[in-house]
Amino acid sequence: MMILMMAWRNIWRNKMRSLVIILSIALGLFAGISVLGLYKGMMKSRVRNVIDAEQSHLQIHDPGFKNDYEPKFILQNGSSLLKTINALPQVKTASPRSITNGMLATASGSSGVQINGVIPDLEYKTTQLKAKIIEGKAFDPARKNQVIIGKKLATKMKLKTGAKLVLTFTDTAGNLVSGAFRVAAIYRSDNAPLDERNVYVNISDLDNLLNIPGAFHEIAILLKSDEDVGPVQQLLKQKFPGYQIENWREISPETDLMVKTTDQYSYIIMVIIMFALAFGIINTMLMAILERTREIGMMVALGTTRVRIFLLILTETIFITITGTPIGIAAGWLVINHFNKHGLDVSGMGGEMMSSFGFGTMIYPEFPIDKLFGILVIVIGTALISCLFPAMKALRLRPSEALTR
Amino acid sequence: MQRYMKIVANIDKEPVNKETVIDAHNISKVYNPDTIPVYAVNNVHLHLLKGEFTALVGPSGSGKTTLLNLIGGLDKPDSGNIYINGVDITQLSSGELIDFRLKNIGFVFQSFNLIPVLTAKENVEFIMLLQGAGRSERDDRIKQLFRQIQLEDKLDSRPAQLSGGQQQRVAVARALASKPRFVLADEPTANLDSQSASNLLDIMAKLNKEEDITFLFSTHDQRVIDRARRVVRLVDGKIVSDSAAVATEHA
Ligand SMILES: Nc1ncnc2c1ncn2[C@@H]1O[C@H](COP(=O)(O)OP(=O)(O)OP(=O)(O)O)[C@@H](O)[C@H]1O
Ligand SMILES: [Mg+2]
Repeated sequence: MMILMMAWRNIWRNKMRSLVIILSIALGLFAGISVLGLYKGMMKSRVRNVIDAEQSHLQIHDPGFKNDYEPKFILQNGSSLLKTINALPQVKTASPRSITNGMLATASGSSGVQINGVIPDLEYKTTQLKAKIIEGKAFDPARKNQVIIGKKLATKMKLKTGAKLVLTFTDTAGNLVSGAFRVAAIYRSDNAPLDERNVYVNISDLDNLLNIPGAFHEIAILLKSDEDVGPVQQLLKQKFPGYQIENWREISPETDLMVKTTDQYSYIIMVIIMFALAFGIINTMLMAILERTREIGMMVALGTTRVRIFLLILTETIFITITGTPIGIAAGWLVINHFNKHGLDVSGMGGEMMSSFGFGTMIYPEFPIDKLFGILVIVIGTALISCLFPAMKALRLRPSEALTR
Repeated sequence: MQRYMKIVANIDKEPVNKETVIDAHNISKVYNPDTIPVYAVNNVHLHLLKGEFTALVGPSGSGKTTLLNLIGGLDKPDSGNIYINGVDITQLSSGELIDFRLKNIGFVFQSFNLIPVLTAKENVEFIMLLQGAGRSERDDRIKQLFRQIQLEDKLDSRPAQLSGGQQQRVAVARALASKPRFVLADEPTANLDSQSASNLLDIMAKLNKEEDITFLFSTHDQRVIDRARRVVRLVDGKIVSDSAAVATEHA
């Protein structure tokens, strides 16, 4: 009891020094929490992008299709499959697509692309293609051979809306076929590499050229809730054992990996911040103990055991730490909450880089409540470890020497 | 050899002789033995009886502090034995010594006696808490001690709010709080004006007389020396005179 009281009073003997270290603990925590919050928000929005704008929750292919994207691997009985899927209550939309890899050529150059034949209205609902358009107009049902290309590709190929281009690829029989298309619109998503690669045409135009009328290679399924991914995937696998049915984690393993590595990464950042703090704590406690050499020597002379001296120093360190901790957490919470509501616009700094990794320029950080316990363990652990060295110093004091200093 | 036998015989008698509190045999302490050796304490014998009020005197550097540290178990002699109530403290580990000091010895230092973050009362209570005394026992003892040092109105003052003399009186109260076998005081009056010094001596002398508390204190101050009932004089780490020895010799 008295040790607690002494520890608390000892902290305030040098107010300035204690405040500085308390504030640096708070600042370190704040920085750590901010980074974690930023990551959490980014990862969440990245996952949302993957699901809502890129891959959807589930995709169905012929098991042979994804090896080489050969056009002959159409989904067998595609229309009845689509009908069954659309009848499932958990399904929001399902978009069938014909897909092939080919070459986009203009008068001035060419570029490899993935040509997606889509049913416009379904695609708009599944991947928000219409919402991503930044120039031109969506597909016109009255026109044929329209193409929608990404901003990155348009810039690279110097293409504007209304411009003409030629798409060349092989059909199911292995013949080289070409079609002339006109740019109806240019879209931009949060994922620049995908924008550079994916072009969209009407499914009937593509099917004609591929010679697979009415067929398609892929069904992208968007569910009403993320939680249904597992059950629906299970159900479909049971019902349609002949197809390859993948969820977004399997389709985009890099996203899953990114979420997981970011988790580890954020702990590493925490540890680095704490490492810096540890030096501050060690320094402060060391000064506090050197200043009190006589006093500690006197306490030992009177009969205070070394365990008690150690407890005193430990308690002082813990007090300093737990005074700084709530301040840091509160500051982190306030700031994260503010930006969670209003968004953090990072387009000014590195928007290009963000989109090349598939992130939007608006980040909505989230308080990393799930990591709070881990953070606290790290912070308290740091405090305990950093008081060991100063405490050893104090324990090694010989009372007769300490008293004569 | 014969001399050795005599000492052993003496030791064997120790527990029987209840009057002895300190029995230091042949103790020496050498600083810097490898370079320029300083014989801070050189072959000292000191025998202290219960209830004695003894001044350890001598010029600066004569070894007073060193001797008190050895007797108080704050430092170990290079040779010799120190018996306190039959226990040879030179044989104790540093952990055992801490416990031994807590239970047997009261300390008053020259300065920086009190823990600055604790009030006068808490400083005294601290020792009793270390000893594991209960609440009511602590309260009673504190009340009694502060009456004896005449500081009943300063219980809740921090050391910084007390004068030097008042601080030393609190230190005396603290030294007695643990009911030690004896109190060691290294120049307790050195930083005090003569009025405060004499006041502190009054209190110590009164405690010695009324409660039979054994004091061994070092000092430079002739006025303090005059108050002692026994005077041990050190020069260059050696005892050059001891009023008790003279008394016994003449007896
Ligand atoms: N830690 C040490 N290392 C080396 N020499 C020391 C040490 N402590 C004391 N000495 C030396 O031992 C001798 C005795 O010192 P001590 O402090 O015991 O004397 P003292 O009688 O208490 O003197 P003072 O009246 O000045 O307090 C002195 O010569 C001193 O220089
Ligand atoms: Mg001295």
